[in-house]
Amino acid sequence: MTEFFVSLGMAYGAAWFLATVLGILLIALPLMLAVAMVIYVDRKVWAAVALRRGPNVVGPFGLLQSFADGLKVFLQETIVPSAANRGLFLIAPIITFTVALLGWAVVPFGPEAVLADINVGLLYILAVSSLGVYGVVIAGWASNSKYPFFSALRAAAQMISYEVSIGFIIVCVILWAGTFNMNGIIAAQQGHGLGVINAFVVNPLLFPLFVMFLISALAETARAPFDLTEAESELVAGYQTEYSSMSFALFWLGEYANVLLMCALLAILFFGGWLPPVDWAPLYLVPGWIWLFAKIFFFFFVFSLIKATVPRFRYDQLMRLGWKVFLPLSLFFIVINSGWLMATGHFGAGS
Amino acid sequence: MVDLSQYLPILIFLVIALGLSTLFVFLPMATARLTGVYNPTAEKLSEYECGFPAFEDARSQFDVKFYLVAISFIIFDLEAAFLFPWAVSLGVTGWVGWTGMMIFLGILAIGLAYEWKIGALDWD
Amino acid sequence: MIQLFAFYMFATIVILAAVMVILARNPVHSVLWLILAFFNAAGLMVLVGAEFVAVLLVIVYVGAVAVLFLFVVMMLDIDVASMRAGFVRNAPLGFAVALVLLAEMVLGFGAYRAGGLALGTPAAPSQALPGLSNIQNVGALLYTRYVFLFEMAGLILLVAMIGAIVLTHRDRRGSAARQDIARQIGRKPVDATVMTRPKVGEGVEL
Repeated sequence: MTEFFVSLGMAYGAAWFLATVLGILLIALPLMLAVAMVIYVDRKVWAAVALRRGPNVVGPFGLLQSFADGLKVFLQETIVPSAANRGLFLIAPIITFTVALLGWAVVPFGPEAVLADINVGLLYILAVSSLGVYGVVIAGWASNSKYPFFSALRAAAQMISYEVSIGFIIVCVILWAGTFNMNGIIAAQQGHGLGVINAFVVNPLLFPLFVMFLISALAETARAPFDLTEAESELVAGYQTEYSSMSFALFWLGEYANVLLMCALLAILFFGGWLPPVDWAPLYLVPGWIWLFAKIFFFFFVFSLIKATVPRFRYDQLMRLGWKVFLPLSLFFIVINSGWLMATGHFGAGS
Repeated sequence: MVDLSQYLPILIFLVIALGLSTLFVFLPMATARLTGVYNPTAEKLSEYECGFPAFEDARSQFDVKFYLVAISFIIFDLEAAFLFPWAVSLGVTGWVGWTGMMIFLGILAIGLAYEWKIGALDWD
Repeated sequence: MIQLFAFYMFATIVILAAVMVILARNPVHSVLWLILAFFNAAGLMVLVGAEFVAVLLVIVYVGAVAVLFLFVVMMLDIDVASMRAGFVRNAPLGFAVALVLLAEMVLGFGAYRAGGLALGTPAAPSQALPGLSNIQNVGALLYTRYVFLFEMAGLILLVAMIGAIVLTHRDRRGSAARQDIARQIGRKPVDATVMTRPKVGEGVEL
């Protein structure tokens, strides 16, 4: 895009800045639109599984439901409880939403279409997603109310527990890809399965890790069946209990943006990102971002189905799954994967 | 070498994202005052409780187990931090690096086994 | 130009946040200021080209250590007023410690700059391997030349883990209800139910 602005007669610096800002807006604004639509999809899928209709009044097929909700929420009164820490209470949703947007800076939408093509892209996403816990903890603490506080503690312990196994699973993928650069990881998947399938998931050594990553992603984003942070039967609405108006909506937006980011990570790490599923020349005529979006949407559909069909875990079961099943298993797979790669001479000169 | 020009977009992104979300929080507060929805009362501003005033301070002490989870997390996070450079440099370090990491993992597996055995991983 | 500006921005925020860590009245606020300081320190690391260190700083310090701090501070439920009470009494002691530290730092740096000390000569900084990224260079050294120190780090982590358990773990295996998932799944209808055909008027004897 920079070249285009330069051709209009702008100085390189100004052109670069304008192109970058445009690129950021091209990520952030469609993302918010996508979140609105995805909330609609979530409700529709949930309704369909329960043999209900779901939103169907506002706009054709109820498509505009999320926007109506947004407008309603926007015009509501923001209530700040008198016992709350006012400053932190308002900062918490800002942190949540900012962090949710920030992860998308390194997601590649095509071979060239990536905002920040950094060497440590995957680690950057890991780092940013580890910040997500602060929005929740600060919200729960600043509310100075009992249920949000409990919810914040639960959320913090839950998120950090599953971050461990996510970190180890990422190491396994990195062993095969040999780089932390997002585009590098995608490029490494070209023709990975028998020379035709562009995905790590067909690798029998990586498939179990894909399943673990999918489940950890659900737990990390506190989606059902791991939505213990807002278990309505015990904690009212969790850390959002005291929130109202747009600050409440920001938690929702942030949550769904995080879910989409996790879906994108699943697509990039295990399903070849913007590569077409099969390494066949005509498929490359379809732009990369269409493949990526199709994969993200597929995983979101899976997330929705899981939300609609699986009953909620109990907290001790959640902790057991994270620490006693996923942690040892992912460590075991690091040993297996690296051992296999070393033994087969994948790293060439090393052995 | 590190290409700093790839990091500048992240900084700009951070500024824009912060601005957007700050706007989202404070703009409705301003509009609420303009449209007259803003109408706080003492009851409305009290914290949520099931129909009675709260008995005690909301920020009570909580179980030390959360602390144990956090410290276990730090240790395994550090372990992962050691694994990241190892995973991409195996081609250079070869079997020496691989064996070294296996010993390291073995040492920490002892710790994990101890935690497991003593029941520190159980949640009750 | 932008780098210079970014450096001064990050550096100023780091220092301001660090000052606020000490000055904040509420310990939870202190931790949050500390997180801001870590975050900007990561920005400084990016500026000197250590991207891996920067990301690690965020992952380990912001993502893990600060969470622990937050837990501890929230768990202690500190009464701020009673803590402030000792401030005036302990202030002279604090100043004395700070003065000693400052004097030592001035002496140390002065001696180092004067070049009078030859306690140890640094090994020649190893050259970066061509064509490899920051992380790969770290790995290439850490797991070959410094592999012994690396294993030591593993032992220290093990000690930390065991220490934390010894300090905080209370065995409640006897008292709490616990779920044994393997036993639950292994349970068969035969173990739990009996099929009987009782005679009318006699009932079942179990």
